[in-house]
Amino acid sequence: MKKSVIITIAVVVLLILLGAGSYNSMVDKQEGVTKAWSNVENQYQRRMDLIPNLVNTVKGYAKHEESTLEGVVAARSKATQITVDPDKLTPEKLQAYQKAQGEISSALGKLLAITENYPNLKANENFLELQAQLEGTENRISVERGRFNELAKEYNAYIRKFPRNIFAGMFGFEKKPYFEAEAGAEKAPKVQF
Amino acid sequence: MRLSKNIILFFLLSLCSAVNAQTKEYTLESVPNVRLQNKMRYVSNPDGILSQEACDSIDNMLWKLEKKTSIEVAVVAIHSIGNNDVFQFTHDLLNKWGVGKKGKDNGLMILFVEDQRKLRFESGYGLEGDLPDAICKRIQSRKMVPFFRNDNWDGGMVSGVQAICARLDGSMTNDEVGNNGDGSNEILFLFFAAGGFIFLVALIGGFASWRATRCPNCKMHKMMRTDSHLLSYSHGIKREEVVYTCQNCGHKIVREVESSDDNYRGGGRGGLGGGIFMGGLGGGLGSGGGGFDGGSFGGGMSGGGGAGSDF
Repeated sequence: MKKSVIITIAVVVLLILLGAGSYNSMVDKQEGVTKAWSNVENQYQRRMDLIPNLVNTVKGYAKHEESTLEGVVAARSKATQITVDPDKLTPEKLQAYQKAQGEISSALGKLLAITENYPNLKANENFLELQAQLEGTENRISVERGRFNELAKEYNAYIRKFPRNIFAGMFGFEKKPYFEAEAGAEKAPKVQF
Repeated sequence: MRLSKNIILFFLLSLCSAVNAQTKEYTLESVPNVRLQNKMRYVSNPDGILSQEACDSIDNMLWKLEKKTSIEVAVVAIHSIGNNDVFQFTHDLLNKWGVGKKGKDNGLMILFVEDQRKLRFESGYGLEGDLPDAICKRIQSRKMVPFFRNDNWDGGMVSGVQAICARLDGSMTNDEVGNNGDGSNEILFLFFAAGGFIFLVALIGGFASWRATRCPNCKMHKMMRTDSHLLSYSHGIKREEVVYTCQNCGHKIVREVESSDDNYRGGGRGGLGGGIFMGGLGGGLGSGGGGFDGGSFGGGMSGGGGAGSDF
């Protein structure tokens, strides 16, 4: 009788310890994913912040390209409306976000393609530096997306392994979606120098 | 006659391919990190693309910069990286070497690839504010590319590093006391680790001896060693027969015990443990960096900042 009580208490304590340990590391890993997500968002935001300056610079040299310039501005304003709460990161939301950003990428791609026809613009140092900033931002986006995917993968693997999957289900830790490389749309615009 | 011409042609062709094979394509692993041998060197120039004077003058500038601001700049000038992407290569190399101080991430890597005729700056997270992409691009297009277009590698690299130093000088302060900050931390950690290990061993030992005092008859921890005699003794290992008597019920048990003699100096067991420990200590110190002749970069990271140019 006494022995069985002790054993029961020991098992309960062990379970609590085990649960608390994995709960805490799950929280840590989830925070890591959240931080990685905000880094991704920051870089996309940085790209959106560059757009007005870029559009104005191009406008000064390429007045007849109204439609292309408007395409960039429209894609940008559409993308600003889509924000994702990192705690409620579902595959659908991530896809919508990725699609909106992908539209900016393709609009920017078109814009950079037409600048090829304006040698004066291409010789403008301000424009070249903007282009360098844009390229740097695209690089940063791809780095941060890669880091996000890495951390999300680590977190997903962690919460889905036994016995943590039991605690993960109990405390509502859900699988995080990944960024997926889309054909064409998500490709960074090729910046030629 | 025609045959001999062919032979000469063949000979020349094979000579050409031999020369081609000699121009090495570098991978992330094979680019030599000169900093590991000498912490005052910053230029990895395995193909001799830059002259010795240029390397010395760059090393000198970057050493002064690091002393003043703690910013680490690595210059890599190589002939080829095959068909690899210059951006990805620079990014990966910076993160692999850890250029920049840990936590500050104030590193910069300059990669020069001769056969692709490409130049790339990769700035760590912490330098993005003081050295934004636009400035990287401006330094490249104003100070470096004009030299590189005329195949003047030395001139372009020296003038580029000069411009970078001018830009970064005074942007940060070196708040490390001496250069041993990281090293002493690591020694401290080692002490704690060793202390923890000894504590753990003592705990296990204590538990084992507590277990050994338990009397199988009355279940009390009252067993005491009352008698022993030596069975064998060889190479410092003692085998004894020990008699334990329970102080409670008088139950006697006999155990065979094997132990190593602390006073034995014949080499072997005792010496090995010490060797491993000393080895561990030496390794820990070596990787601490700073303070000695060789050193590594500080462990900085980058997130894809910087700019690239063709020449």
